[in-house]
Amino acid sequence: MDAKKRKHRYTMVIVQDRCIGCMACYSACKFEWEVPINKEMFRTQVLEIEKKGVDGNPVVTFLPILCNHCDNAPCVDVCPTGASYKREEDGIVLVEPSMCIGCKACMEACPYNARYYNEELTAVDKCTFCLPRISNGLEPACVATCVGEARNFGDLNDRNSKVYKLLKDAKKVWRLQEDKGTLPNVYYVSMND
Amino acid sequence: MAKITRRAFIKTAAITTSALAAGSVFSKSSSAKSKKELYDEKMTHYDKGKTSFTYCEMCFWNCGVIAHTRNGVVHKLEGNPFNPNNRGHLCAKGNSGIMSLYDPNRLKYPLIRVGKRGEGKFKKASWDEAFDYVANKLKEITSKYGAKSVASFLHGTGEEPFIILSHAIGTPNVVIPAYSQCMGSREVGWVLTYGTGVSGHSTFDFKNSKYIISFGRNLLGALQVREAEDVTEALARGAKLVYCDPRFSETAAKAYRWLPVRPGTDLALILGIIHVMIRDGLVNMDFVNKYCFGFSQLAEHVKQYTPEWAEKETGIDATTIETVAWEFAKYAPNVVAVPPRRFSRYGNDTQTSRAIAILNALAGNWGVPGGIWVRSKYAYILAEYNRGECDVREIEFREPKEGEPPKPTDERADGAGTLFPLAPKSLGRENGMIEATRMQKPYPIKAWLLYGTNPIGSSSIGKNKLVEEVIPNLDFIVDIDIIPNDISMYADVILPESVYLERYDLPHIQKDAYPFIAIREPAVKPLFDTKGAWDIAKGIAERLGHGKYFEKSVEGRIEEILKELPEEQRKELKEKGVVVFEGTQPFPQAAGEELKFKTPSKKVELYSTKLAKFYEEKKDEYYYPLPKYVPPVQPKESGAYRLLFGRVPMHTHARTQNNKMLAEIYPENELWINEEEARKLGLKEHDKVVLHSLETGVDSEPIKVKPTARIRRDCVFIAHGFGHISKFLEVAYKKGASDSSLCSDGVDRISGAAALNNAFVKIKKVRG
Repeated sequence: MDAKKRKHRYTMVIVQDRCIGCMACYSACKFEWEVPINKEMFRTQVLEIEKKGVDGNPVVTFLPILCNHCDNAPCVDVCPTGASYKREEDGIVLVEPSMCIGCKACMEACPYNARYYNEELTAVDKCTFCLPRISNGLEPACVATCVGEARNFGDLNDRNSKVYKLLKDAKKVWRLQEDKGTLPNVYYVSMND
Repeated sequence: MAKITRRAFIKTAAITTSALAAGSVFSKSSSAKSKKELYDEKMTHYDKGKTSFTYCEMCFWNCGVIAHTRNGVVHKLEGNPFNPNNRGHLCAKGNSGIMSLYDPNRLKYPLIRVGKRGEGKFKKASWDEAFDYVANKLKEITSKYGAKSVASFLHGTGEEPFIILSHAIGTPNVVIPAYSQCMGSREVGWVLTYGTGVSGHSTFDFKNSKYIISFGRNLLGALQVREAEDVTEALARGAKLVYCDPRFSETAAKAYRWLPVRPGTDLALILGIIHVMIRDGLVNMDFVNKYCFGFSQLAEHVKQYTPEWAEKETGIDATTIETVAWEFAKYAPNVVAVPPRRFSRYGNDTQTSRAIAILNALAGNWGVPGGIWVRSKYAYILAEYNRGECDVREIEFREPKEGEPPKPTDERADGAGTLFPLAPKSLGRENGMIEATRMQKPYPIKAWLLYGTNPIGSSSIGKNKLVEEVIPNLDFIVDIDIIPNDISMYADVILPESVYLERYDLPHIQKDAYPFIAIREPAVKPLFDTKGAWDIAKGIAERLGHGKYFEKSVEGRIEEILKELPEEQRKELKEKGVVVFEGTQPFPQAAGEELKFKTPSKKVELYSTKLAKFYEEKKDEYYYPLPKYVPPVQPKESGAYRLLFGRVPMHTHARTQNNKMLAEIYPENELWINEEEARKLGLKEHDKVVLHSLETGVDSEPIKVKPTARIRRDCVFIAHGFGHISKFLEVAYKKGASDSSLCSDGVDRISGAAALNNAFVKIKKVRG
């Protein structure tokens, strides 16, 4: 289905300038979804990337990562049982745990390291954009707790939404690994030059 | 923060047992249904459960929290959007309060020591037994040595009942460690200049600021939610942040300029900036002429501190110093120069604090948006406001309120108010009290009452000296905490406090730009045989014959405080968990009001009349009425590095390392060392080393190395609060190295607060 024709185009817009690497999102998400306490298991994470700047000084970037709910989702394509699927009405990619056989093909296929195998659930698990929360009028847990308000969630079909405005006003907009052709629905923006 | 190795995990691990074990808390609600069924249920019927209001106790800034409880289990904490401290957000610590509630290592019932001190052998006791035991021991000690031989170390929401208890016993020796271990020098410097402190919830209007210079305040990493929110908001709007620190912290990552100043020389840098501002006519003279005292003396005094001179001292080049001064002036008065919060560093901290205060005054930012706001006086808040909140303006104990014990009159043992005349008696000096206990001078200190504090992990004296030279002098140690922290091992009685999610507490009342009041109600009943701070203090007081100060229950006290509120606001408090008193004026200068300052001259004292008096008496150059530069101490041996320590966003002091979620995110500290130095020493990432302190002679536990360009070559850094020695902390035990066993026990001569970073370490590689 053409993305633009969906009822909702749910999107996360991450304002890169505002992420301070505090990991509030990480813990809020884990408590909300009972993600096992184990470093290898997460639905969202913040990477700390250190580089050297042109002046020789360090440059540190805090990069939040999560499932990109891709329009062209490789995880859905490789799933042998159909447990991984993309919802037509809003573009959210989900895993149905009762159909998951734990083959982990989707984990290998995902270029964003967004999926993990949940031992307790005996199924692959990942970010759902907090679907039950958003259906109840709440923001996703990571967005609600985000100290710097780096994470923003909304419906791109709604021109009054914060995400729409952010994408419109941003000085820079990019998505992760666009060359892979996955068409992610998580945008990274910078509001400054 | 984690390096992603999940790909490797996919290939190797089929089953990990740790995951199964770690999930046990979450599994509480899942006895009947399978995980998959529960998952489906959650996806289709989202049930947040019962909600209750509280305020956070994972650190000390008391953000507003809404707890969600399902089937008697707290499953989610969310920020209260109406609370000005966090506007609905919670940091990693705030979110992880659940894991402190369900920490399997929690203290579950009172304990009385049966083995030797430090051996960790205790017997289970009833509250009656424990209270009787505490009361009898205290009676015995006070009848032998006097009431003042009892010293209380208090930190957290329950401070108030234990202050009442201590004063009822009759001891003046109440210590709030936040003074000497943290912000004492900052506050004294500020009070000398403005007549009022920065306070815990600082009075900086970051949100509207256009230019922020932070002198080592890690605004985004040493996390206080509102502060971080406001700074990111300002930065997103295009404000400029200048960050001055030998280490490239989280705040440096967002800064437009990083000034890697030579440790201990911040004062030289600030004096250089002030020099340029005065030399180049960049001072807000309207403000200075109207409100400041001693500008001509200052102008004369800083002539010697040229940018070229400052370059030599600080390692920051003169051109940069000039540029920063010009930029600061360009955006004035919507600018702030920010002092560090933990200003217990190099022994010249009070004067450095004074210099930062002066830098702000030269911009004229008092009572201006984007500058410094003035804490509003709101009658109800002032009347009910009880906690010291490190208000160092009052050097004396405050007058007791109705129904409170008389204020103690004996001289304090730690020199606060006497030896250190500017150190407030109401807060005391933890470092001084430990020293007094060690020396048994000026009089014997024989009993310690510890509430929420762990001197082994957070004082400057360090584990070894504390254990060998201080603790043996004590006849009695009572430890009140939620976990068996390091000091608990040496306690005679351990009284378990309920976690904040299990209890009522007095309302949180905050003097602020717009003052507010927030309530705490339990989300669940106590899981174990624990009590709240009020009831613990009450139990001891009753047995000492001081029950009259605790006649009311904590609920009764809350009712008493809230009954003065107008009906409408009481209703609002019940509905929102917080009431904000709007309509006050935090920006009087911008509103055209006359400013008032509570200094002796009634002006902002660039030249301190109070210090001038002391300088006259003491002839001590540290007391010079203008900030005078004294170079930092240097190591006695070559090949040593100055030891810096500080915060990470996921831990509070030495008290959260056993929280499973926080430990997962940040399990142990690493040694930050400049990559060039690491190469020189033949150290690679993750090599293990031992730090040998030239000051204490102590070798640290082995710690992993993090070679990085993010720190100067003359210092190393470790995160504070690690290296726990309590074997009852199964998660935190022996993880990382303890800064407290390595740091210096220096003292700032004016404030009497600690100078923890005057310590140097040598690095020894550990084989294997």
